[in-house]
Amino acid sequence: MNLFHNVRAQWLAYAVFFIVLALVPLFVGDDVFLLNQLSMYGVYAMLALGISLCWGFGGILNLGQGIPFGLGAYGMAMTMQMQTQDEYNPMPPFMLNNSLTELPWFWVPFGNTTVGIILSIAIPALFCAIFGWTMFRARVSGPFFAIMTLAMLSAIGTLFLGMQPYTNGANGLSPPRSLQLGELTVDPYSPGSYWVVFGLLLIATVIAKLMTLSRSGLVARSIRNDAERVRFLGYNVAAYETMIYTVSGIFAAVAGACMVVLSQYVSPDQFDPTFSLMMVVWAGIGGRMSLLAAMLGAFLIQGGQSYLGDELDATWYLFLGTFFILVVRFLPKGLVGLVESGLGRIRIGSKRNDGDSAASEVSLNPQPGA
Amino acid sequence: MGFFEIRNLRKSFDTVSVINDFSMELVELTLCCLVGPNGAGKTTTIDLITGRQKPTSGTIMFIEEDITGFDEHQIARRGIGRKFQVPAVFRDMTVRQNLEVAFTRTTNPLKNIFRFREPGFAGKLDEILTLTGLGPRLNVEAGILSHGETQWLEIGMVLMQNPRLLLLDEPVAGMTESEIEKTVGILNDLKKTNTLMVVEHDMSFVRRIADVVVVMHMGSLLAKGTIKDIEADRRVREVYLGEEA
Ligand SMILES: Nc1ncnc2c1ncn2[C@@H]1O[C@H](COP(=O)(O)OP(=O)(O)O)[C@@H](O)[C@H]1O
Ligand SMILES: [Mg+2]
Repeated sequence: MNLFHNVRAQWLAYAVFFIVLALVPLFVGDDVFLLNQLSMYGVYAMLALGISLCWGFGGILNLGQGIPFGLGAYGMAMTMQMQTQDEYNPMPPFMLNNSLTELPWFWVPFGNTTVGIILSIAIPALFCAIFGWTMFRARVSGPFFAIMTLAMLSAIGTLFLGMQPYTNGANGLSPPRSLQLGELTVDPYSPGSYWVVFGLLLIATVIAKLMTLSRSGLVARSIRNDAERVRFLGYNVAAYETMIYTVSGIFAAVAGACMVVLSQYVSPDQFDPTFSLMMVVWAGIGGRMSLLAAMLGAFLIQGGQSYLGDELDATWYLFLGTFFILVVRFLPKGLVGLVESGLGRIRIGSKRNDGDSAASEVSLNPQPGA
Repeated sequence: MGFFEIRNLRKSFDTVSVINDFSMELVELTLCCLVGPNGAGKTTTIDLITGRQKPTSGTIMFIEEDITGFDEHQIARRGIGRKFQVPAVFRDMTVRQNLEVAFTRTTNPLKNIFRFREPGFAGKLDEILTLTGLGPRLNVEAGILSHGETQWLEIGMVLMQNPRLLLLDEPVAGMTESEIEKTVGILNDLKKTNTLMVVEHDMSFVRRIADVVVVMHMGSLLAKGTIKDIEADRRVREVYLGEEA
């Protein structure tokens, strides 16, 4: 049995991954800007995790992950912005510049920090549940679903850009102060923030991993194999797809909220299709069938981007595109496929089998019966 | 009131009418064979019962409930299990996983997120393995099973669902004589606890299992009765002899 598919070995790999990540701030020292940047990698990893769950595990290619990400980010930015308003100054300055006379109704709940944070996650979750259910009920799947998510992403991006008086349009929101939680100020340049982001990533990873190992994971695998057949067993396929899409969206929303806490800035760029495509590239290159590989893919590509991207400029995208095509063509399981086949050569006696990474290719057009 | 009843079922694809005013009923704890030449509409009838196709008109009643037009999963949950004509198993999953996913006590996705073991599965698995003899193949990928084994696996999956009504579309196609022999035994056993409808055109097989035979021809009911009645029926012989032997 391949060690790669050994569930205990997989948990061990996750443990090592998170222990290493937890130690990072101890080595960064005084360079708080670097630490802040590294915290942002937790955000990328969270996004990659969501894509891996949705695309690798659920078989749902989602090019619109920027929707829950952006909605979560705006929710948090609105909450932080409202923390700096008071009864004498109830409205953010940009609204006054846009000659609004009253705080718009949908801004009001964000005046309460707890409610605001809950809404940052609940609104994107609700969006995914409704949009997903509508699409999956109608049996929209595969490339058609991917196109719908992309179209929706552009539409929402345009909406946020166009609603200047309510969202500050292209300028976005830049709350002047760090997030306040009660007496506590969340310093985005502190190891504490780093640990909170990666702590959330740890929780999300454990949830995702348990999902893949549970009965819903088994059903999801059957759906990837032959969605049509699963229905005749009594499972509501649309409900499973909606659930997976929504959980993945919640991860993206949390990532969006964390990003704003770290950067104190959000703009319609969060809805830029290029960024959503980039998330898919991370998971595709790392290996979408493995949660861990997708996260490492994010580190690899984003790391490459920040160190080579500036120097290479447009050439970087050319390089990345070529790399992506090569990986998809020759390593359909991503770079982690190399690890899998490497470990496959080492024989061990264990009989325990199967995690999220064992499934082979999905047949494109399953047709049971005749 | 009946256990299962089809009334005046019709189905057309575009302008082609495939099922024409077909009616039948099933008595609980009996085995009914649905026979008829190729293209008679047997598979389409099963598609209509299980929700894969929606009828153009007519009603399908199951245990006092009108299930016409329900979704596939709703019908399956009411206790109708189906085996496809071309065996449909999850080829990339092991035999065990195939049977596990078919053990559908809990179908709610939210409840299944953090559910790892289904109580009662081990016992049911033993039962099905004894019945189908798939024990030695438990950890093999379903895609590499022989044709007969694949048929068995799918029958096993249907049984895992614990259905009250089993619809088996050509369950012995591609089986060897000894495998057919075994199937006959199992089907006759299942009659004691389940109601079955089996599509088949091999009359020697039908003779060994059927309580009632329903003959379909061009989407309509041609004849219904015991195997003796049917074999004596002149119209049935014409239809079969007209096609082939
Ligand atoms: N989806 C479809 N579209 C058009 N015609 C169909 C479709 N499905 C079945 N038919 C036609 O319906 C008739 C009955 O088919 P079927 O129910 O498969 O027959 P049987 O199972 O009795 O051999 C055939 O003539 C077939 O061509
Ligand atoms: Mg048929």
